[in-house]
Amino acid sequence: MGLDPEEFTVDELTDELETVDDADELSAVLEAERAGQNRKTAREAIHRRLEAVDAFDDAGSDGADEASEEAETEGEYEETREEVGEAAEGEAEEAAEEDAADAEGGPREPSEAAQEEDGLSHPTADKRHVRALSGGDYRDMWVFCEVQQGELLEVSKEMLGKARELMDQYAADYEEEHVVAFLMGDDCEGLAEECIAYGADVAVYHDDDRLERFLHKPYSEIAAHMARGQGTVESTDWRAYDEPRYVLFPATNNGRDLSAQVQAELDSGLASDCSDLYIEATEISNPVKTGEPGVKKTFERVLHMKRPDFSGFEYSTILCLDNPDRDFHPQGCSVIPGSFEPMDPDPDREGLVVEHDMELEEEWFAVEVTEHDELEAGVDLTGHEVVVCLGRGIGDDPTLGVELGLELVDAFDDAALGITRGIVTSSYQFEGHVEEYTKEERQIGETGQIVAPPLYIAAGVSGAIQHKVGMDESETIVAINTDTDARIRDFSDYFIEGDLFEVLPRLTEALEAGELDVTAVADGGED
Amino acid sequence: MAMRRTDGGAEEGYEHYEAIVVGCGPGGAAAASRLADHGVETLVLERGVEAGSKNVSGGLIYAEESAPYTIDDLFPGMREAVGERPITDYYIHNIAGKKVKTYDLTRLHEHDTDWCDAVLRRRMDAWLEARVHEKTSETGGGVLTGVRVNGLLRENGEIVGVTCDELDPITADLIVAADGVNSELARDAGLMDWEEPDEWFQGVKAVVEMDGERIEDRFAIGADEGVAHLFSGDLFEGVRGGGFLYTNADTLSIGTVFHLDSLVEERAEPHELLDALLTHPLLAQWLGEEYRELEYSAKLVPDSKKVAHREPYRDRLVLVGDAAGQMQAQGPIIKGMNHAVTAGALAADAFARTRRDADTESAGRAYTSMLEESGTMGKLRPRRYEYTSVVSERPLVTRVVEGVLNSPVGGVAVGNPLAKRLLGRAYNSPLLVGMLPDTETGYVTLPSVIGEKLGRTVHWENEVEPPALVDRIGELTYDTDVGNPHIRLRDESYAASGAAVTACPVSAEDFGGGCYRAETVKTNGTEETLVSLDTQPCVECGTCAIVADTEWEHPRGGKGVEFRQG
Ligand SMILES: Cc1cc2nc3c(=O)[nH]c(=O)nc-3n(C[C@H](O)[C@H](O)[C@H](O)COP(=O)(O)OP(=O)(O)OC[C@H]3O[C@@H](n4cnc5c(N)ncnc54)[C@H](O)[C@@H]3O)c2cc1C
Ligand code: SF4
Repeated sequence: MGLDPEEFTVDELTDELETVDDADELSAVLEAERAGQNRKTAREAIHRRLEAVDAFDDAGSDGADEASEEAETEGEYEETREEVGEAAEGEAEEAAEEDAADAEGGPREPSEAAQEEDGLSHPTADKRHVRALSGGDYRDMWVFCEVQQGELLEVSKEMLGKARELMDQYAADYEEEHVVAFLMGDDCEGLAEECIAYGADVAVYHDDDRLERFLHKPYSEIAAHMARGQGTVESTDWRAYDEPRYVLFPATNNGRDLSAQVQAELDSGLASDCSDLYIEATEISNPVKTGEPGVKKTFERVLHMKRPDFSGFEYSTILCLDNPDRDFHPQGCSVIPGSFEPMDPDPDREGLVVEHDMELEEEWFAVEVTEHDELEAGVDLTGHEVVVCLGRGIGDDPTLGVELGLELVDAFDDAALGITRGIVTSSYQFEGHVEEYTKEERQIGETGQIVAPPLYIAAGVSGAIQHKVGMDESETIVAINTDTDARIRDFSDYFIEGDLFEVLPRLTEALEAGELDVTAVADGGED
Repeated sequence: MAMRRTDGGAEEGYEHYEAIVVGCGPGGAAAASRLADHGVETLVLERGVEAGSKNVSGGLIYAEESAPYTIDDLFPGMREAVGERPITDYYIHNIAGKKVKTYDLTRLHEHDTDWCDAVLRRRMDAWLEARVHEKTSETGGGVLTGVRVNGLLRENGEIVGVTCDELDPITADLIVAADGVNSELARDAGLMDWEEPDEWFQGVKAVVEMDGERIEDRFAIGADEGVAHLFSGDLFEGVRGGGFLYTNADTLSIGTVFHLDSLVEERAEPHELLDALLTHPLLAQWLGEEYRELEYSAKLVPDSKKVAHREPYRDRLVLVGDAAGQMQAQGPIIKGMNHAVTAGALAADAFARTRRDADTESAGRAYTSMLEESGTMGKLRPRRYEYTSVVSERPLVTRVVEGVLNSPVGGVAVGNPLAKRLLGRAYNSPLLVGMLPDTETGYVTLPSVIGEKLGRTVHWENEVEPPALVDRIGELTYDTDVGNPHIRLRDESYAASGAAVTACPVSAEDFGGGCYRAETVKTNGTEETLVSLDTQPCVECGTCAIVADTEWEHPRGGKGVEFRQG
C-alpha cells in the first residue's frame, strides 16, 4: 500500500491525500487509520478526499463524451494553431511575412474568425487562406504609383527608378521581365505615360472620376483585381501569369493603408517601411519553409527588403518566401519616400499603356468625402525639401518656440514643420494659433511619420532612438541643442550648440537676407 | 452537451465555454491544465503575442514539499525543458558602505523546498502555453493569444462571462482570473483595489548576458548548479527593500524589490537603485568588465500579507495567483509562481468537484476552503503576521528599536560573538523571517548595522556602466497601439500624479523620453508644474495605477511592450 497514515500528522496527511486519486487506495488508508491511531480528524480528511475523488471520477467520464462531441472543433483549432505557430517562430528573417501582415492589420484578426454565421462558431475557428495559391506563376515587378492632385508623387518616380535598376539586373542574371506601373485616379492616362518615361515597361491605369481622392475600398479592390489579371481580354492579354512576382508600394499614409489590404487580398505578406531592395538567391533551413526539418533549401530570385528595425541601430532584411504547400507571392513591401533616386525621365521610352477594365460597385463608395481641407504644409511631411522639427527644447516658451519654427519654415521655399513625440504628449499650454502644429499628425519617428528630406533641422530634439528612425535617412541633418551630450549629435552633420530661441531667429534672418545658401549646406558645404 | 448550463448567455447567442481562463502564466496554465484533466472544455485567453511576452518575475520558482501541487506535477519535464538552473546555494549580504557581512541562507532556502529553479518567463510561459494548448484542445478548447479580456460580462448583476477588445463576449460556467498583478477582472469584480502603495512591491530587473561556463567559473558552481544572492543594507538610499541576483543558464537575473510606499516617500528613481546594486564593489567579482544588459523590465507584486484575498471569488469568477494577491514576500523569500500554480490547480479541482451544483458560487466557496485547508492561505497571509505587525510596524516602536541598534549598546549587541551565531541562525529561521517587520529596521538599519559591525570591507573596483534609461527603453520591443493610449491621466497636477515621475521605472526627473515628465508651465504669468504622460515607453508595471491619478488599463491584445526574457 502506498500511504501509511501512521507516519503523518493530520495536517500532513491531508496534504499527502491530495496526491492519491484512487478510491480503493483511499479506503485502504482509512482502514489503516482505523486500525491504528483512529484519529477523528484524520478520518474526516480521508472521507473528504474520498468524496473529492468520486466527484473527479464522474467528471472524468463526462469529459470523455465531451471530447468526442467536440472533435470537429478540435480539428479546426489545430489549423489556427499552426498558423499562429508560424508567426510565433520569431525568425525575423524567414517567417516575417506573417508578422508583417499581422502588424498591418492583415488577415489574422481574431474578431473576423468569430463572426461566422452558423451560430456555432468558436472564436478559435480556423481562418483559411482560401485564395492562396500553391505553385503559381509569377512574373514582373509591379509598382503602385500614387497620385495626388493630378500628379505623380515623387516617391512613385523613385520606386520606378529603383524597379528599373533591379529589373535590368534581373534580365542580366535570369531573363527579361517587366516593370509594371499601376495607378488610378480621375484622369491619369497622361500620368501612365509619364510612368513609362520614368522607367516602366507597362503602365496599367484605371480612370474614374470617383477615384480622384484616395478611398480605401475601391483602391484596394482595383489594385488586387489588376494584380490578379482580371478583366477583359484586351486589357489583360499583355500578360500570362497569375500574379506579380514583386510589388512595391510607397510608405506614405495612403500607400501604407493600401499596401496592407492589397497584400492581404492577394494572400501574401508585406514588409513595411523599407529603405533598400535587392534580388538574390537565399538558402533557408526553417522547416516551415523547407517542409522538412534539417534540410536546406535554396530559394531563387528572392526580393531582399531591408528596413531600419525598431532600435534604429540595425537593419532587418525581410524575405517573403513560399511554404511548401502555400505560396507567398507577390513578394511585397512599402518603400520610405526619399530612399531611392528617380531616373531622368525619357519621353521617348517605349512602353505599353493599358487601360484597366472593371465594374466599380456603388457600395465601395459608401464613404463619401463631403469636405476636405488642404493643409498648406500638408500633414504628409514627406516629399519636402526641408523639414524643421521641434522638440521639448521649446519648453521654456512653447508657443514662441513653435512660432520661431514656423518662421524658419516660411523662409524656405518648400519646408514643413514636424515635432517629436515629446511635444505631442507634453502638458504645454499652446496658444490657439499654434496649437494645430502640436498634434500627433506631425510627429516624426517610429510611431509617427518617416521622412528623408535633403535637409532636416532639429531644434531642441534630444535624438531618442525612436525619433531617429523617423529621420535618419535625411541627407543632411542639422541639430540645434544646448546640450553637447545630446544623442542627436551622434548622427547630425552639423551640430549648433546654442539656445534655439536665439539660433532659430538668426537662421531665419540669414535665409531671408540670402546670406545662407541652403543648397550649399545640403550638399555638405561650409557650415 | 450534458454539462452545459443554459442559464448563461447561450440563448443570447454568445459563445459559451465551460471554463474560461484569463491569462496563461503559471496560475492560468495550472488551472487550464487541471481543468482539461477533469474533461472541462476550457478556453484560455492571453493578451500577449505569446504567453510570457508580458510577464516578469525575479526568477525563482519553488516546488514546496507541503504544496498540494507543484509545477512539475502538472507539467512533467518542465524543469528539463525550461528550468535555467536549480538553485543550490543561497546567500544574503548585509551591506554598509563597502563593508559586507554574508550569511549562508541555504538552510532557510531548503526549508520545505523540494526543488527550486531559476527561470525566465518568456521561455517558461511560452513552453507552458504549448502544453496547455495541447491539453485544452483535447477537451474542445485551446489557447488564444493576442486577446485582451477587458471586463466582466454580467446578466442581472451576476457575472456570467468576459468581454474582450478583440472578440465578442464569451460566457462560461467558470471564469478563472489569472490575469496577473493589476488584474482588471479582480478590479471589475470589486475584489481588489489599486489604491494603497503600502500593499505593493515594485520589482525591477535586468537580464544580463553571460556565458554559461563563465557563470560557473565566477560563481564557483557546477554545470547543473545555481546560486541566489540577496542584498540588503544601506546601498538603496534608505528605501525599504533589497536586491537579488540569480544565475540562469547563460544569463543573470539581477534586480531589486522595494516597498512601493517607501519608493514614493523617498522619491527614489528605481533604475538608479538598480544601478546602485549593479555598480556596488561586491558585484565586481561576478560581473567583470564587459556588462551587456539584454533586457530591462519591471512589475508590481502584491504583498500577500496584506492583500491575499481570503475569499477570492464572486459568482462564477475565481481569482488565482497575483490577481488574487497571492504573492508571498517575507523577508528575503519571494514566492509567487508556486502559489499561483497551487491556486490555479485547486480552483480547477474545486470546479470539478462542484460542477453539478446549481449554485454558481459553489466552486468559489470550495476553492476558498481548499486554499485554507491546503495551508496555502496560511503561508500567504500568516495570522502571526497580523499580530506582530500591529506592534512592530508602528513608527514609535520602530524608532525605539532603531535607536537601540544605532546606539553603542545596540552595536555591541550585534557585534558580540554570541549574537554573531544567533544572527546566522535567526536569518535561517522561517518563523523569524516571517515576522521581520516590513519597516526600515528590518530592511535597512539591521542589515547595515550587521554589515558595519561584522562585515569585511570589499575593495574590488566595479567597472560596470549600466545603460542609461534612454538606451534601456530603446532596446525594448514595442508594438505601439498608435492613437490608443492605454493609460490616461485624470489629474495632471503634480500633487496628484507627480509621484509617478520618479516611481515609474521608465521615467525620471529631467528625462524627456519616459512616460511621466514634470513640466513647468507658464500660464498668464503664473508658473505651475504639471505632469505629462506618454504611454509608448510603458513597460506595463502597474506602478502609476497606484501612485498617480489615472484611468489605467492594459494595452489591447498583442500591443505594447513585448518582453523577450521576462
Ligand atoms: C515605442 C516608442 C515609440 C516612440 N515613438 C516616437 C516617435 O515616433 N517620435 C518621437 O519623436 N518620439 C518617439 N518616442 C519617444 C522618444 O523616446 C522621446 O520621448 C522623444 O523623441 C523625445 O522628444 P524630445 O527630443 O522633444 O525631448 P527631450 O528628449 O526632452 O529633448 C529635449 C532636448 O532639447 C534640448 N534643449 C532644451 N532647451 C533647449 C534650448 N533652449 N535650445 C536648444 N535645445 C534645448 C535638451 O538639451 C534636449 O536634448 C517613442 C518612444 C517609444 C518608447
Ligand atoms: S507608465 Fe505606469 S505602468 Fe507604465 S511603466 Fe510607467 S509606471 Fe509602469
